[in-house]
Amino acid sequence: MDMKNLFIKSFLAIPIISLLFACEDAVDVTLENAEPLVVVDAFITNRAEPQVIKLMRTQPYFATELPPTLTGASVTITDSEGKVYTFTETSPGNYTWTPAANETFGEVGLDYTLEIETNGESFEAFADMSRVPTVDSLTFFFEPGDQFTDDFVLAEFWSTDPDDSGDAYWIKTYKNGKLLNKPVDINLAYDAGFSRGSNFNGVPFIVPIRRAINPFDEDPNDDTKVLPPLVLGDSLYVEVNSLSEAAFDFLTELKIQTDRPGGFGELFATPLANVSTNIRNKNANGTKAVGFFSVAAVSGFGRKYKSTDDVKDFPKQ
Amino acid sequence: MKKSLLFLLCYLLVLTGVWAQEKFTVNGYIKDASNGEALIGATVYIKSLNAGTVTNVYGFYSITLPAGTYLFDYTYVGYGKQEKQLELNKNIRLDINMEPEGEELQEVVISAEKEEALVQSIEMSVNKLDIKTISKIPAFLGEVDVIKSLQQLPGVSTVGEGASGFNVRGGNVGQNLILLDEATVYNSSHLLGFFSVFNPDAVKDTKLYKGAVPPQFGGRIASLLDVRMKDGNNQEYETNGGIGTIFSRLSFEGPIVKDKGSFIVAGRRSYADLLARPFVELLQDGGALNFYDLTAKANYNINDENKIYLSAYLGRDVFFFDKNQGFSWGNNTATLRYNKIFNDRLFANFSMIYSNYDYKLQFGEDDRDFFRWNSAISNFTFKPSFSYFLNSNNEISFGGEINYYDFEPANASGASNGDVIDISLAKKFNLETALYIGNDQKLNETFSLQYGLRFSRFDGFGRGTQYTLGAAEEPGKRKEILGERQFGRGDRMSTYENLEPRFSIKAQLTNNSSIKASYNRMVQYLHLISNTVASNPLDVWTPTSNNIKPEIGDQITLGYFRTLGKKDQFEVSVEGYYREAQNQIDYIDGADILINEFLEADLLSGKGRAYGLEFYLQKKTGRFTGWAAYTLGKTELRIDGINKGNWYPTRFDQRHNLKLTGFYELNKRWSASASFTFTTGTPTTFPTSRYIIQGVLVPHNNNESRNNVRLANYHRLDISFRLEGRKTKADGTPRKNTDYWVFGIYNLYGRRNQFSVNFSQKEGRYQPGEYIPSQANQLAIIGSPIPSVSYNFNF
Repeated sequence: MDMKNLFIKSFLAIPIISLLFACEDAVDVTLENAEPLVVVDAFITNRAEPQVIKLMRTQPYFATELPPTLTGASVTITDSEGKVYTFTETSPGNYTWTPAANETFGEVGLDYTLEIETNGESFEAFADMSRVPTVDSLTFFFEPGDQFTDDFVLAEFWSTDPDDSGDAYWIKTYKNGKLLNKPVDINLAYDAGFSRGSNFNGVPFIVPIRRAINPFDEDPNDDTKVLPPLVLGDSLYVEVNSLSEAAFDFLTELKIQTDRPGGFGELFATPLANVSTNIRNKNANGTKAVGFFSVAAVSGFGRKYKSTDDVKDFPKQ
Repeated sequence: MKKSLLFLLCYLLVLTGVWAQEKFTVNGYIKDASNGEALIGATVYIKSLNAGTVTNVYGFYSITLPAGTYLFDYTYVGYGKQEKQLELNKNIRLDINMEPEGEELQEVVISAEKEEALVQSIEMSVNKLDIKTISKIPAFLGEVDVIKSLQQLPGVSTVGEGASGFNVRGGNVGQNLILLDEATVYNSSHLLGFFSVFNPDAVKDTKLYKGAVPPQFGGRIASLLDVRMKDGNNQEYETNGGIGTIFSRLSFEGPIVKDKGSFIVAGRRSYADLLARPFVELLQDGGALNFYDLTAKANYNINDENKIYLSAYLGRDVFFFDKNQGFSWGNNTATLRYNKIFNDRLFANFSMIYSNYDYKLQFGEDDRDFFRWNSAISNFTFKPSFSYFLNSNNEISFGGEINYYDFEPANASGASNGDVIDISLAKKFNLETALYIGNDQKLNETFSLQYGLRFSRFDGFGRGTQYTLGAAEEPGKRKEILGERQFGRGDRMSTYENLEPRFSIKAQLTNNSSIKASYNRMVQYLHLISNTVASNPLDVWTPTSNNIKPEIGDQITLGYFRTLGKKDQFEVSVEGYYREAQNQIDYIDGADILINEFLEADLLSGKGRAYGLEFYLQKKTGRFTGWAAYTLGKTELRIDGINKGNWYPTRFDQRHNLKLTGFYELNKRWSASASFTFTTGTPTTFPTSRYIIQGVLVPHNNNESRNNVRLANYHRLDISFRLEGRKTKADGTPRKNTDYWVFGIYNLYGRRNQFSVNFSQKEGRYQPGEYIPSQANQLAIIGSPIPSVSYNFNF
């Protein structure tokens, strides 16, 4: 799928076409009413920090307030060896499990069951924790600008997918300690490539994945310009999260539905469709849920951009 | 099956033997005297018997009558009528050269001849557009376009600018069989649908069958677009060309041997990139942005009975950002045809056809990290077809078709930091074969029939892997792969056989009104897999297999046709259609259709239905000509796992579709034309709700409905003015050269028609827990009036 996004993006790189005639405008539309659903945001990792599961409800698409929270639920995760992790509500809708010193959540290879009891309904979901390769390094390189972009310094991370097909990852990037969480920043890999069956296996992540850790943001003062992703003094931390195949599919759908190409690229976009879920109401006729439960092993690497000497091919003055 | 066809054939041949003593045949080719172009659909009429026939696609006719003396009328619209008194006491070969009427006579003065109206013909659900009409319709950027012109006809639609192809009676883009001199064209669009691949300078005739497709054609369930190329002038050399806003055209034609053979070569190229090169660095760096095509054809009369034609097409769209990165796609076709007149009544054509469509995509700056992918579909076809002109009341056609397909879904390799990996998918090999027989029969003054049967068969061959799919966890989800089976080279992997009956009947109520009805079954073995908003060049053609069943469409139509007014200058028709389709394809949410070995597990299958009423009013002669076409239609799918298993409208469902097209001769040099389009907005899915996962705003339709709302209605007005060059030189002598200018404005009142509306979170970075605003944006492909000018010449 990402293949297509790449294709769209490249297509957009042809300024002539996008300038040709197309135009995009914000529009007011009338939407159907709908009953709210339960939302479960349960991405658990073995990072040594409190793990949070958020319970909410869906809200009308154009809602102008924070989503309604689901309070007073009972939330537990049980592993396949019978160990129970109890999540307690630390603030409305936020259910937290805090590891003891030197403790982390879970173990690679085990299966996990999430159970939620709320307002007389029971929800459950299953996940497993898969392996994750180490991140070996982060390097910087110089990308000369052209007519439409400035010269940039960009980063690239190095990590090799282990042998045997079937691994999947979510590569999260933190810039100066803050998670890059725009839809466009969702960087997924199946083995070392974009998708199942692409057969990049047991090799370093392919270049569009290695380099998708750079944040691109519009210049608030000039919407035709992009801010430099990295300037001297910035630090980047890349964290690879292991995913189950189901979690990979979920996040792939999530990216397709949220990272809209906009403009002319909408020609090639996938029409709106609901992102799937692994949260089941034990009563098939009960309230439906959306969201996902995933348990990830993580590995990471951080580096600060201290000097242009660190940058490959940086032009000498 | 084969036996019974053979039997029927023998029976018919015996019958003719019995009659042969007392009847004689007149046959021959009807051509344009000025350039030798065969005239398709010219009429031969014997008034005293009220009998007649029309020429076939090669301009050949044959009519068998009892011995006697008759007056034969040869007519073709825009040409002077020819009358021949013939004494029929032996078989007669009579080729006719028709003289075109003067340009002015034809366009300004009401033609004296009544053209062979749709009222008289048994054909229904057919639209013919000759290139002269096409060239008058106001066109995008002033470029005359076959497919854009077809969209002005009833029952034909598109989801908007920027969408490749066209939709017929609720069929999808891949359900149209598009033939260019009999070769399949897999993608009919240049520049993502803004232009079609057919060069109007090389096109003679286009005919769109929306139903009642004769049995010699099959393979798609919605329609057949039959485009025939010009043969080339066999009298003198001729050059045509045009310089337009976006591309230029040039064609050259002439005799190989005068009266015996001719050729035409026609080319086009866009030049936006040439113009932009000085300003855009990308283009100086090996980048390219263009499309081009080359169409060529030659024919040669070996003798009166034997004639050969060779036609070829090559076209490509190229988008390269630099010399290593970009993509391109194109069609190539070649057709070799041999016309043989076996005897006075048996006409045969043998065609050998090659057709290929491919696209290439590549990224990566160096050899350590790259991605290169190409995909192709090729077919080789042998198609013998025979017409047996039994007598003036029966024309029997029979023949067959063998198509060999070679699919290359992905020939791809990638490299990551120097590790090169082949990520190709296995090729697929298929054979599609068909036998058909049909008859056009005139029962009496009132009733005519056209009936036939097509037998089709589709085989998949190894080497290949066949997957066994299990049920999905729940409807609408990815199916589980249960097992796989390897097949060796040439081993048969799957076989399907289908009978496709075709039947039409006409009741001629009066001289100027008729009622027609038809039923036909069409089977489609190749499927166009597309899950994007608009059809695009990367859509995947995939064959029927053990998991993908052939699409089967059954259509019934009923129509009323009539001519009105002085000299029958108005033609009116109303047609209703109803089509049911089986094994229609849709996709699971999140389907991965590119380079996916397990693509079949991501496909869903269900039923389709489409029905509608088409109204058509055409004014054919006079200073003002034009037509109004209105279609009231509905097209829906029902697929388990989508829209809670209920019927939902397809993306090309249009309740109302109104097209108005008018031409007006202002004076001898200026003419004006206008066209107006109104269609109901495209069905689309809007969310009802939103939720936030991992700091990302997700739109969601809590009602699980598909295509639950409609975009704003689409409407657009285009106009153009044509200025004919002077016909005479300053000294009053006629100019040999002719030329004309076309000035046009597309989307005159600058409406921003919605192509799509997309839902996303507003641009920006949001901290965890912060409110994320949602937005809806509409895309209009054309956002303003687009003026154009072009200059066209002939010498």
